[in-house]
Amino acid sequence: MTNPVIENIRRSLGGQRPPYNPRRGLGPRPAIYESRRPESVDSEIEQFLDEVRKLSGVAEKLSADSVSDALKALVAKNGIRKATLWHTPLFEQLGIENTLRSLAVDIISPNADKHEMAHCDLGITEAEYILPETGTLVLASSAEKPRAVSLLPRLHLAIVRPEMLRPDLHQVFAEHIGRGEASLRPYTPDYLVFITGPSRTADIELTVTLGVHGPKNLHVWIMVKNLTVAFD
Amino acid sequence: MSETPTYIGFEAYTGHIPPSIPSAVQQATARFAVGRAARVSELPQFEQLRQIASDIRLHTIENMDTYLLRFEEKVTAAGGHVHWAATAEDARQIVLQIAREHNVKLAVKSKSMATEEIGLNHALETAGIEALETDLGEYIIQLAGTGPSHIIVPAIHLKKEEIAAIFSEKLGIDAPADPIELTRIAREILREKFLNAEMGVSGANFLIAETGTLVMVTNEGNGRMCTTMPDLHVAVVGIDKIIPDWESLTVFLKLLARSATGQKLSTYTQFITGPRRAEGEFGPKEFHIVLLDNGRSDVLKDPIGREVFKCIRCGACANVCPVYKNVGGFAYGWFISGPIGAIFAPQMLGTPTARELPYASTLCGACADVCPVKIPIPTILRHLRRRVAEGDQIAASTMPAPIAAAAKLSALALAQNWIYRFGARILPPVMALFTRDSWISSAPYPLNRWTKSRPLLAFTAGFRSWWKNRNAK
Repeated sequence: MTNPVIENIRRSLGGQRPPYNPRRGLGPRPAIYESRRPESVDSEIEQFLDEVRKLSGVAEKLSADSVSDALKALVAKNGIRKATLWHTPLFEQLGIENTLRSLAVDIISPNADKHEMAHCDLGITEAEYILPETGTLVLASSAEKPRAVSLLPRLHLAIVRPEMLRPDLHQVFAEHIGRGEASLRPYTPDYLVFITGPSRTADIELTVTLGVHGPKNLHVWIMVKNLTVAFD
Repeated sequence: MSETPTYIGFEAYTGHIPPSIPSAVQQATARFAVGRAARVSELPQFEQLRQIASDIRLHTIENMDTYLLRFEEKVTAAGGHVHWAATAEDARQIVLQIAREHNVKLAVKSKSMATEEIGLNHALETAGIEALETDLGEYIIQLAGTGPSHIIVPAIHLKKEEIAAIFSEKLGIDAPADPIELTRIAREILREKFLNAEMGVSGANFLIAETGTLVMVTNEGNGRMCTTMPDLHVAVVGIDKIIPDWESLTVFLKLLARSATGQKLSTYTQFITGPRRAEGEFGPKEFHIVLLDNGRSDVLKDPIGREVFKCIRCGACANVCPVYKNVGGFAYGWFISGPIGAIFAPQMLGTPTARELPYASTLCGACADVCPVKIPIPTILRHLRRRVAEGDQIAASTMPAPIAAAAKLSALALAQNWIYRFGARILPPVMALFTRDSWISSAPYPLNRWTKSRPLLAFTAGFRSWWKNRNAK
């Protein structure tokens, strides 16, 4: 089948072109892609928390046994009545759903209808990766990890682990497209989203306003094994 | 604004710019330029990244057919539909056809230059489909019925009081002149629309050939809403947005937000590969992408001019441009303004329509200094000026005859020493006829255009004789 757009591109670029070569004009692959070398996990955690805070997010370091108390405080402070969360082994293990129920919070399925989910006060997700340089959460998508949970509720809480730290975008992308069915590789999952701070705009007189269409608040808890050591 | 202009009268427009435009535009440009400088200084590899980005873009332009076909193959493998639109009309018809098949009544749109280019909103509305802009700035100017004055903050020319008045009038509510309150009102209204729209329309920042992935960068979250809530997602994207692979994308993402708004990354960066695959997940059941040519493949003929397609639409060139800062975005007459608009429009619309734009510049070079993909904007401006004045293989001269004749004459004079010397000798006595107290305050037509704005000091001697006498001393 002829494609007039492609035909015209070829006509314009001319018949004298050398045959396609994926590296033509690019030279050897520059080392710059992997130039960011983190000092330590602790420094990466600190930088990540710091960047999230700079973006008006709330970022904390928590141990597993303090999660219940932290949830209790979050629910009380933000008037949370309805929540939705991803179905993940980590959340089971932390007993998030049970804690919320004990706080009289209504739990909505993450696969609920969009109209229902739009009324949630809180959406809880994990992340696939986190990027300390920019304070970015990288979220995948599946039936257990629906994308609307980080979008529709007015408050987004992400519970992440130091194992998710990656030094740079480059590592994230390399791992991301390496996934999926081998026969179709490179064949990416259908959706990925980077979240860097809460939804924002400066469209009216350049006044920064949070919570335009996405969540108005972003909270990030990073789970560390031994809180006292990490705090030193 | 969404209609393709037949002639862009840049100069005529600059004769009556409301003073509110430069003051508002300069607030925005100053903020972004300062933010950009701060982010750039934090990143020691910035210059290296610019060079790599430029190389990748050139490589992609020279192999555009290969990458577009690979993109099509991958999108199709992921269950999406690819449509090729040779013209704006083709693109409109494709989108309308999809909308009709799905019985769409309401379409929510996230900011997209390509849909502005093809005038999609107008086409949808003519077909009885409501097309709603959902980026806050775009929503405001859609209500106001005007075009964008800045690529990143399209409603920058409007004060909060004016926006409140527009909201009150168009939405029938009592809106206060408070940015936070106005944002909250828009959030509530638009959220209902997101949840009920049958179709989401978007553009894209990049298309990754390697995997058939559409990349969208937004801050507000409306881009996510438009591509997550409706069951149908239609993207309209210029063919110049194609990039080879994810490895290239790292470079562009590091440059884009830093150059645009002075953020390290924008709030939301989405990567969409075909429709949703999991049952119980959100996201569109059907994914369509319209690859828009609309003259781009013709521009590729010109090896100098086609570097315009390296552009990643950050707006950094506009934020430092002394001309843009004083005239604002409307002056450029099309959906891309600033220095990049001045080299984009004349190539896409043709020099007969946009022949004034290559001259809408002082050639100071600030744009090229900040461009994250190293587009040689001043070089292309000069190249296009030559096209306007003399014509080239791409287009014939579009200079008005008297100016073209004058330009030819001066070229001849400057090339022939004896004509130049003769002219230099007769000029002082000719000037003396119009000189009062060594100033010429009103020259004869057509030179009076100069003396209308400032008097001209009369020549008293030729440079050569002055130089000779000076050396003789």
